[in-house]
Amino acid sequence: MGFVWHIAVRYFRSTRADAHIRALSTLTAGGLAVGTAALVLALAALAGFQNLLLEDLARHTPALQIEFGRGAAVEGESATEGARHLAELAAATNGVAGVQELLYARGWLADDDRPLAVEVLGYEKAPPPWIPVQPEATSGLIVPVSVALRMGLAVGDIVRVVSPRPGLTPVGPRPRVRTLPVDLIYRSDRAENADDPVLLPLEQASALFARGDRRLDLTLAPEADPERIGDFLRRGIDPAVAMVTTWRQANRALLFVLRLEKGLVFSAVALIVAVASFALLAALSMVLSSKRAEVGVLAAMGAPPARLQRVFLLLGALLSVGGAGLGGAAGAGLAALLDRYRVISTPSDVYVVDYVPFLVRGTDVLVVLAVTVLFTAAAAVIGARKASLLHPVEAMRSART
Amino acid sequence: MIAVSGVTKAYQDGAVRRQVLRGVDLVVARGETAAIVGPSGSGKSTLLNILGALDTPDAGSVRVDGVDLTASRPSALAGFRNRSLGFVFQFHQLLPDFTALENVMMPGRIAGRPTSSLSALALALLDQVGLADRAGAFPQQLSGGERQRIAICRALVLEPAVLLADEPTGNLDSRSGEQVLGLLDTLRRRRDTTMVLVTHNPEVAKRCGAVLRLDGGSLAPG
Repeated sequence: MGFVWHIAVRYFRSTRADAHIRALSTLTAGGLAVGTAALVLALAALAGFQNLLLEDLARHTPALQIEFGRGAAVEGESATEGARHLAELAAATNGVAGVQELLYARGWLADDDRPLAVEVLGYEKAPPPWIPVQPEATSGLIVPVSVALRMGLAVGDIVRVVSPRPGLTPVGPRPRVRTLPVDLIYRSDRAENADDPVLLPLEQASALFARGDRRLDLTLAPEADPERIGDFLRRGIDPAVAMVTTWRQANRALLFVLRLEKGLVFSAVALIVAVASFALLAALSMVLSSKRAEVGVLAAMGAPPARLQRVFLLLGALLSVGGAGLGGAAGAGLAALLDRYRVISTPSDVYVVDYVPFLVRGTDVLVVLAVTVLFTAAAAVIGARKASLLHPVEAMRSART
Repeated sequence: MIAVSGVTKAYQDGAVRRQVLRGVDLVVARGETAAIVGPSGSGKSTLLNILGALDTPDAGSVRVDGVDLTASRPSALAGFRNRSLGFVFQFHQLLPDFTALENVMMPGRIAGRPTSSLSALALALLDQVGLADRAGAFPQQLSGGERQRIAICRALVLEPAVLLADEPTGNLDSRSGEQVLGLLDTLRRRRDTTMVLVTHNPEVAKRCGAVLRLDGGSLAPG
């Protein structure tokens, strides 16, 4: 054991002997334990909620799409050729398991009584994976349960799909209409399901909504990273022709708010750790005050100021590491228990789960511990600096006065 | 050896500037013992602190064991104190959280010496002063004389070239004081250590090779 450890460990033990220092050091350790536990718990609760939300988003949002509007043609090629080239480029990209063209539009669904404005999605091969139905093409309509309920539809019913843009005929403009059977009704289970689309084959959709919004929808391999593939595709596609969007970019406003929320909660709860660090500074100052003469003797015997400073830095670490470690472990353990036994319940009609989920992330715990170390180190540095600035003669004289 | 030339030192005491040392000159050859006597407040301890690189003079030069203390950086002075100087203080100044043995070992620990050899050396010293059986005791468990003997062992553990003692018997009864002085003399002779001793006690001063009186800030043969 080196000199610094030798002295710091002995001074740490001596903090148990003095009632005032013991009270302060206990307060420090307790404060740090409460602070780190509260931080870990708060982050675990946020991570639990956000994780569910992101899983829901990822399940119901296209992982990666290439949006090309009504044409993807570069000079000298037709729109169809342009789209085909984009599809070939995407399909050849590592990590892309499948590519199909989609058409987004807004139209009406009409039965005998009334029309209902709906989002329409035309698919080329099969319903995309982010729509929770069997990935098999049908010739008719796939209708979300929200639309089916409002129109009183059941599987097998016949409805008309109407385009808002009429077609021109020799006898004047006539509405574009397709009469199709309802083949499937699906439930999306999304937290917000107001805009679940009505699906129909691309061929039918193209005939009705020629000016719809066309996109290539990419199905990715299970381990593929949408952002990395998106970056790769962006390098190969002229941004004037088409736009590559990942699910994170499509939801970037929400993701920003989630990050902001996490940052604000973290900052607020971290104040507990900051206050505990003040207690650490007070404890160190008290130890230094009681050891003032001894520090002077050590300096007189040739201990350099830098090593005396390190003694008190290490003492600060010893006073804080137990509390921070205990708090981190307690916070993580409590979060795991609260999640395992679903202790805190929430109204099931408000959110997708009926309990408060907790998710302890290793990175979150590390960040909490790092912040705790930062606060306590700042406090310890101030205390340790005082020790290094002591004048040996003055310090030793204090023992006699 | 110790060579001090033209050292002055003043303290600011509120609005008053108090001149403590006024051009002090002092030479102590290697292996010699010098006693500095004088009334309280004459600057004896200040001079000793300057010799021990614990304080700096306002003017003049101080060379101890070949090192110019007035031209050295604080970090170098710390190393010098550890390597070349041994201190014995009036109030022993043992570290209460450490045993007698650990206190004696402390200068060696600061120097980074291996603990095993240091421990053997410290135990041998404690044995020489008759305190080997008290090695595991804490200072508060020891008598005043025992504490001062341990402080002497601590001062000598790294075999310093110069030993500085500030009233080493000032806080002891006559029997313990006699023991401590005899011990200092024996150990100093054995190691050919230069010693400067500050004392109020004429009997103690008489035992030294040279006696110097510090009065009015100046040093003169006593």
